[in-house]
Amino acid sequence: MIPPRRSGFAWMGLIALATVGLVWLLFGNLPEPVIRDRFVVIPQGWAYILGAFVLVIAGIAASAYWYGVATRPGRAVAYAVTMGTHMFIWGVILAIFYPVVYLLAVSFNRNDTLAGALPREGNLLVRSGVLPNPADFAYVQYEKVLSQTNILGYQWVVIALLVLMALALLGLGIARKVFPITPHRADRWSAWLGWGLFLTTAVLVVSITPSQFYGVNEAGERVAASSERVIVLYVRNTLLVSGTTGLFAVLIATSAGYAFARMRFEGRYQTLLTFVFVQMFPGFMALVAIFWLMVRLDLLNTFTGLILAYSGGAIAFSAWIFKGYLESVSPALEEAAMVDGATRWGAFYRIILPVSVPMLLFIFLLQFIGTYSEFILANTLLQGQENWTVGIGLRNFTTGRFDTQWGALAASAVIGSLPILIIFYAFQDALTGQYAAGGVKG
Amino acid sequence: MLAGRLLVPDLPAWSGLVIGTFGLIVALVVIAQRFTWIMPWYYVLPAIVFLLTFTFFPIGLTVWLAFTDYSGIRNGQLNPVTTTDIVELDDTRLVIADPVGFNCADLRNGCVDVRAQVLSLSSVTVPAAAYANGVITLEEPLAPGRTVVEVELFLPDMGFDFTASVVGVDGADLLLERPMPFPPDLEAIRVSIGDRLLRTIVAEDGAVLTLNTPLPADFDATAIARYNDYGFIGWRNFATIISRAQRSLIPVFTWNVSFALLTILINTAFGVLLAVLLNNPDLRFRNVYRTLLIIPWALPNIITIQVWKGFLNENFGAINRVLMLLDITPEPISWLLGDATTARAAVLLVNLWLGLPFMMTATLGALSAIPRELYEAAKIDGASPLQSFWGVTAPLLRTALVPITLTGFAFNFNNFNIIFLLTDGGPAVEWGTATARGTDILISWAYNEAFRSQGGFAYGLGSAISILIFVITVAVSLVNFRVTGALKEVRNT
Repeated sequence: MIPPRRSGFAWMGLIALATVGLVWLLFGNLPEPVIRDRFVVIPQGWAYILGAFVLVIAGIAASAYWYGVATRPGRAVAYAVTMGTHMFIWGVILAIFYPVVYLLAVSFNRNDTLAGALPREGNLLVRSGVLPNPADFAYVQYEKVLSQTNILGYQWVVIALLVLMALALLGLGIARKVFPITPHRADRWSAWLGWGLFLTTAVLVVSITPSQFYGVNEAGERVAASSERVIVLYVRNTLLVSGTTGLFAVLIATSAGYAFARMRFEGRYQTLLTFVFVQMFPGFMALVAIFWLMVRLDLLNTFTGLILAYSGGAIAFSAWIFKGYLESVSPALEEAAMVDGATRWGAFYRIILPVSVPMLLFIFLLQFIGTYSEFILANTLLQGQENWTVGIGLRNFTTGRFDTQWGALAASAVIGSLPILIIFYAFQDALTGQYAAGGVKG
Repeated sequence: MLAGRLLVPDLPAWSGLVIGTFGLIVALVVIAQRFTWIMPWYYVLPAIVFLLTFTFFPIGLTVWLAFTDYSGIRNGQLNPVTTTDIVELDDTRLVIADPVGFNCADLRNGCVDVRAQVLSLSSVTVPAAAYANGVITLEEPLAPGRTVVEVELFLPDMGFDFTASVVGVDGADLLLERPMPFPPDLEAIRVSIGDRLLRTIVAEDGAVLTLNTPLPADFDATAIARYNDYGFIGWRNFATIISRAQRSLIPVFTWNVSFALLTILINTAFGVLLAVLLNNPDLRFRNVYRTLLIIPWALPNIITIQVWKGFLNENFGAINRVLMLLDITPEPISWLLGDATTARAAVLLVNLWLGLPFMMTATLGALSAIPRELYEAAKIDGASPLQSFWGVTAPLLRTALVPITLTGFAFNFNNFNIIFLLTDGGPAVEWGTATARGTDILISWAYNEAFRSQGGFAYGLGSAISILIFVITVAVSLVNFRVTGALKEVRNT
């Protein structure tokens, strides 16, 4: 045991001061920005930024080291590493968040084009166009992309209900941390609220129709909605397709997964092997054939056709996952039920299904998120604009006949991302859990 | 399905699926009462039915199409454009007026073995007044006593002609076989009147065609149109791929493999670095950091990739503005439209942003699975933190990372979204072709051949490329299974 040395505090303060001073000096001596190719350039700017970054990390690590020397000398190096890590991670977070922040800023900006002249005064970051001008903050882009969406009276009620339940769920989550509610009761409430949210969203998604999307011209007549103003319809279409695919996969795959996990029958291994390989084939590889099939079935340009096209791979994958899950569940419960006279199906239906609700939810979410981001099949099978999904709708912004309206695109992108962002963070542990648990298997 | 349509022609084609499903359920109940051993299969059956219909059937069809010349100009449909007058008819031998317009050159064997429709009377072009739900109302009724066979409609929304059979005539109303997907252009509607007979052409010599069976004596043949028949061509699609390999297969395949490998290498390197840093138990807020760092995973990539397209714009993209501000590049980089190298770098950069959270999370998982006792044992043996990293963490992490990287490789090998939505396969390069450009990977190349190629949609060729991808994907997955032992697990349990 090394005794703590009080002089460490002095060193810590000295190094912290020196770091602040050096960084201040560095930024104080930043060269005057020049204009090159219509871009604002700080000559050798990278060296200053890199220097400052390294300086800050080193300075903080050194301060932490001396703090350790002054308090727990055995941990001094660990303190230095940890504090340096903090700073480094913040650098990474800044880099990863930059596109997200920029997107948000553009969506809340008055300008629709990014090609306009840069502002002449203000912060260096604003002058160089690295960040959009906060002085141009406006909701106009959102107003624009929502302007041709006409929500009916009862849909407002549904939306209000949705918001209320979401708030209640959020409140419950906070209340659980603050007040000592019995976990059992809180769990039951949040389960009820969760199902309520799910059902209300489903009602909303189903009730919105393409006929609600129109503009009104000066004469007061309805005109067809522009393809760049109907992001809500695209989101609704995508939610409908992804949600149905997810439900479908769960519905069909559970019994198959159960049979593979619990029953021993001739041909089981071969069938299972086939499932394993099929779930690896991306459905879109047989794109031409699926297109051919949907033309023959009159299902081209329908959600049914797209959902069926997704279902093949989704079902095989879900059955495989569910089988893996059931193998980790003890069969004792079903056996007891069957001894008491339950049939196989009864045991599956009454014992296994209720126990597996969290796993079924996970399978649903996985399929939901997967199909939300699917592009190629949707693009090939859905041809009418009123059926487009989010991805196709956004692509229309950049490939359309007119100059890309970046502001409207950004606002649409934000609206289109919200459903998945909310779901992902609400179920973060479940969704990343299979990787985070360390037991990843092919 | 076909039988249903023959009995009740009004039913949509998918009704066959519904009727078939109901019939199947009835049959299954009957069978189950006789053979009890079949029960386990009933649990699996719904899944198998879907797999057979929407996965195996398309895969089988893809294999078959790969050996055909199915394409935009050989799509199996009747080609009304080839309609030409019959100048002379003698039993099965007939002379056509316009052999160039009949265009036998577009087919694989000329017109031999191709179906043809012989028309007894010509067509008239008339204006229509209205269209609704599969009924066309002409401005004036047609002369009585004439059989209306079909109408040819121009659909402006789709940009091509659509031929529809007429199943009934009521005054000026023509009832079509099925509703049009889009409203037709009403100004000029070509109405085919008269009878038509289906024949197969057995020989073709310029303007002289020979049919398989003679036409009836009372049939006043006036015109003939051929089908865009496609058929089996053996290995020719694969031969085409090989013969053009220098400009398409080889560069595309090389880039495809290096794209997947580089992505995995870069993402793993950064992912492991972050995970090792975050795995420090002294690090406070590390769960907050992890939650913040997975944001690219939480946003739908179909949207973020398209947004990145804006960030990478040469003149006003955020990336170039940062690079220029910090003087990292002497001049703005033309990421997506410049040369292949910058476009490839852009793809890798965006893929790093998209894939880093997954790699980080997976590595964190692998790290948390390493028992703490091992580190303590290493410490007791006097190992420094660095030594225990190289002696304990690195070897254990390597084994855990193999399946993760293999999965990542297989995923990125067919990562259509990033290529299609970010660079769209471009930019065009002089060592490529119109369908295989600078950043095209195999799957986007197949897509281009099938749905966008200049000489008509080469579905057959696209399918042949898909089969090559099948083979490679399966090979990668087999390696993965060998490594993880997933299949052994299937057999044992």
